Amino acid sequence: MPSIASTLLAQTPSPLTPADFWLPIGASQQAAGVDWMFTAINWICYFFFLLVVTMMVVFVVKYRGKPGARFRSDAPTHNTLLELSWSVIPLLLCIAIFWYGFKGYVDLSTPPKNSFDVNVTAFKWGWQFKYPNGAQSDNLVVPANRPVRLTMRATDVLHCCFIPAFRVKKDIVPGRYSTLWFQCDHPTGLDEAAGYHLFCAEYCGTGHSNMNRRVLVLPQAEFDAWMVKQAAWLDEIPDDELYFKAGPKIYARCQQCHSLDGTAGLAPTWQGLWDRVANPTGAVRFTDGKSYADLIGPGKEFPTPQDYVRDSIYNPGHYLVAPYGNVMPTFKGQLNDRGIDAVIGMMQHLDEFNAKGVWTKATSAKDPAK
Amino acid sequence: MTTLDAPRHDILDTTASSDNYLTHSRGFLSWALTLDHKRIGVMYLIAVLGSFLVGGIFALLLRTELLTPGRTFVDADTYNQFFTLHGAIMVFLVIIPSIPAALGNFVLPIMLGAKDVAFPRLNLFSFYLWVGGALFTLYSLAVGGFDTGWTFYTPYSTTTTTGGVVPVLIGVFILGFSSIFTGLNFIVTVHKLRPPGMIWFKMPLFLWAIYSTAIIQVLATPVLAITLCLLIVERTLNIGIFNPSMGGDPVLYQHFFWFYSHPAVYIMIVPAMGIISEIIAVHSHRHIFGYRFIAFSSIAIAMFSFIVWGHHMFISGQSGLMNTIFSLISFSVAIPSAVKTFNWTMTLYKGTISLTAPMMYGLSFLFLFTIGGLTGLHCATLNTDVHLHDTYFVVAHFHYVMMGSALIGMIGGLHHWWPKMTGRMYHEGTAITACIIIFIGFNLTFFTQFMLGSQGMPRRYYDYQPEFQIYHVISTIGAYTMAVGFVITAVCFAQSLMSGRRAPANPWGGRSLEWQCASPPPHDNFATTPTVGDCYNFTAVIWDEKQQGYIVDRTLDPDMPHSTGAKPGGHS
Repeated sequence: MPSIASTLLAQTPSPLTPADFWLPIGASQQAAGVDWMFTAINWICYFFFLLVVTMMVVFVVKYRGKPGARFRSDAPTHNTLLELSWSVIPLLLCIAIFWYGFKGYVDLSTPPKNSFDVNVTAFKWGWQFKYPNGAQSDNLVVPANRPVRLTMRATDVLHCCFIPAFRVKKDIVPGRYSTLWFQCDHPTGLDEAAGYHLFCAEYCGTGHSNMNRRVLVLPQAEFDAWMVKQAAWLDEIPDDELYFKAGPKIYARCQQCHSLDGTAGLAPTWQGLWDRVANPTGAVRFTDGKSYADLIGPGKEFPTPQDYVRDSIYNPGHYLVAPYGNVMPTFKGQLNDRGIDAVIGMMQHLDEFNAKGVWTKATSAKDPAK
Repeated sequence: MTTLDAPRHDILDTTASSDNYLTHSRGFLSWALTLDHKRIGVMYLIAVLGSFLVGGIFALLLRTELLTPGRTFVDADTYNQFFTLHGAIMVFLVIIPSIPAALGNFVLPIMLGAKDVAFPRLNLFSFYLWVGGALFTLYSLAVGGFDTGWTFYTPYSTTTTTGGVVPVLIGVFILGFSSIFTGLNFIVTVHKLRPPGMIWFKMPLFLWAIYSTAIIQVLATPVLAITLCLLIVERTLNIGIFNPSMGGDPVLYQHFFWFYSHPAVYIMIVPAMGIISEIIAVHSHRHIFGYRFIAFSSIAIAMFSFIVWGHHMFISGQSGLMNTIFSLISFSVAIPSAVKTFNWTMTLYKGTISLTAPMMYGLSFLFLFTIGGLTGLHCATLNTDVHLHDTYFVVAHFHYVMMGSALIGMIGGLHHWWPKMTGRMYHEGTAITACIIIFIGFNLTFFTQFMLGSQGMPRRYYDYQPEFQIYHVISTIGAYTMAVGFVITAVCFAQSLMSGRRAPANPWGGRSLEWQCASPPPHDNFATTPTVGDCYNFTAVIWDEKQQGYIVDRTLDPDMPHSTGAKPGGHS
């Protein structure tokens, strides 16, 4: 096998291995070690499988009894040497497999010191990737030719970060951090179709299979530029354009549960939502029996409707509109004040959007800002 | 029980005893309140096969949904319920009770030459616990079902809004006690009710397997019961045990759950291994090869099964040291499995092999278990498991073991003992055709899933990337093929019950005690305690034209331990 240590620590780029009968494309420094082990075990399996099946078929053909024939009685009942040998040889093989698998695993789970850090938050049902300069992204964008370490947390239930092309996977457990590292030497650009798959591999409910995103790998210089641009995207939008430029992008993370056209979902629709919170009545009840009118308004728990919406985003389990369950993750630390403003703005101007959250006003009015 | 009806001479001909366990007493209560292990076994069998039908329908539904990416005919939430119900029903209601409770109940006391199990009332109680557990599971469907996956991983299982979670947890809790009591009963029965002369190393290997299984059932299942209780407490009383938002630890749940559920894998497979030892020896009509190695490997598997649970958690956040230790110990299970496989294969050597329906299932088992066992190597190895964990590769691996081995073993055992249980033969050609169809369908379904998984398709996915579709289509076609095979098997059995040829006492040429009482056995199994020979010495078994079955000619077997030397007989 290629020495794992030399493969991983070498500065030379790892080869891009194409997909074959068993394994998908391999694009990380770690892929070669895992693939070598997988293939080695495969050959051991082929050998023993053919051995057993060949013996089985040969014996069945050769010793097939004829009807009415007297049973043979010359067969050996045991052979201690033979039986010991087929205990000891598999044992030695197993120890060898364990040892190489262990060595590979040590390399898989030890991020190099010069790793670039990305913060990952997994939630029902999506991902957020955060960068040291404050940039945020829905796809995992990473620099090429450099070890990348993901520090991951989950806001609600178990998730699992799985990147098949890199041969890495790690559960994300709410209440603790988990880490994962890889190094990819093969840039993909920002085109999603060219990116590597990233899946959630731990069952997490309705949208489990919709948590697939792309890993996009950029050369270091391009990556730095992307990170700067990405960090500023909310700030670069003028205040009065925030709701239709940033709103739909943020809403993309809400649409799995909150519809815009009144369609029933896992959570209240946004259709007419602003009317209901701006003019609170007793009609909308929470699971604890209180209503909008009890909570929203001057002197009450939420003096303005904006306060209520903000609390619902940051602290979703605080009050639950009946009959919905406590399924929404918190967006604390993910959406800043400008993000909240964009969401509220979108709720206020919902008539300017179609059911998919696409802003349609541009065609009907010259001046989008009121 | 009272006997009100006269024996039915219209059914029973004169050569068989008119009094068998099916006709011994009549009426609903004579079954519902029976203490006869054979009737309890038959009731279990009907219940388990009914559950198998339900679990199988869910499998077909979820395979159908997976024909296309995105929506095929149901939404994501319904699909999540399909695979959860398929898993929970197949594991808790079908495979765990299938061999020990259904076939074991019927065969074990007869193999021992005993009249019944040690605690007949406890046995009936176990059955009703099973019924209670099954009713709770049904009830959970009525109140909204559950979508947690059969593993009930927290915090999803304690926060999901589906309404049937607590009922099914109670159901599984009750099923666990059914399993514990059955195991307890069998341990005592094997210890106390062996006939004179049947020392431990003269027991049929099926009994060794059932005995090993019973030990796991008694020792591991209480942990599941405690875990489920904690889960119910967390969900209903909001006491934080596993949910981190209340101060709990979800990884702790995984430790508790797999501490039971890994041994449970062996509760499912070890009895099937016992059946295969019987089938291969009896239908090769030749002494089992390496009896002691097979017997000890059953015990070894039972012991190792308790210390390998952590290999379900290599990527869960468990420490690297724990992963290393669990990986190393997990390989230890490979050794007894390899020993058994080679010993079964060698049992074919110089045998007199009859390719009967049970033997076809036995050979299928050998083929499928070899694949299922060998692919365990990929999963026990640390760095390859990181890639394969939670993908279809693991799904394929455990289906090869749980279905291709445990269930195929059970169906094989059913064909093996069917003449004994019902007193009827089935049409051999039909049964073999069904077996071949199931074998082909099984490999179509699950071999493609190995490729799906190693290519990177995660499990429990409603929607998937278009490049995976071809594998899913083949897999679904395989599932339909298997369904056809099982329907043919059902028709074959129904035909046997209605108009099958009357079965002789010993249709296959077996040597263990169950083949020396009538088919079906009388209420008390044996009039007198039978004497025991070497249950794998087939030299004394000869074909009897008059009975159209085999008989044991004791003059050919002086009942000596080493009677394998050929005796010149006039039967060539």
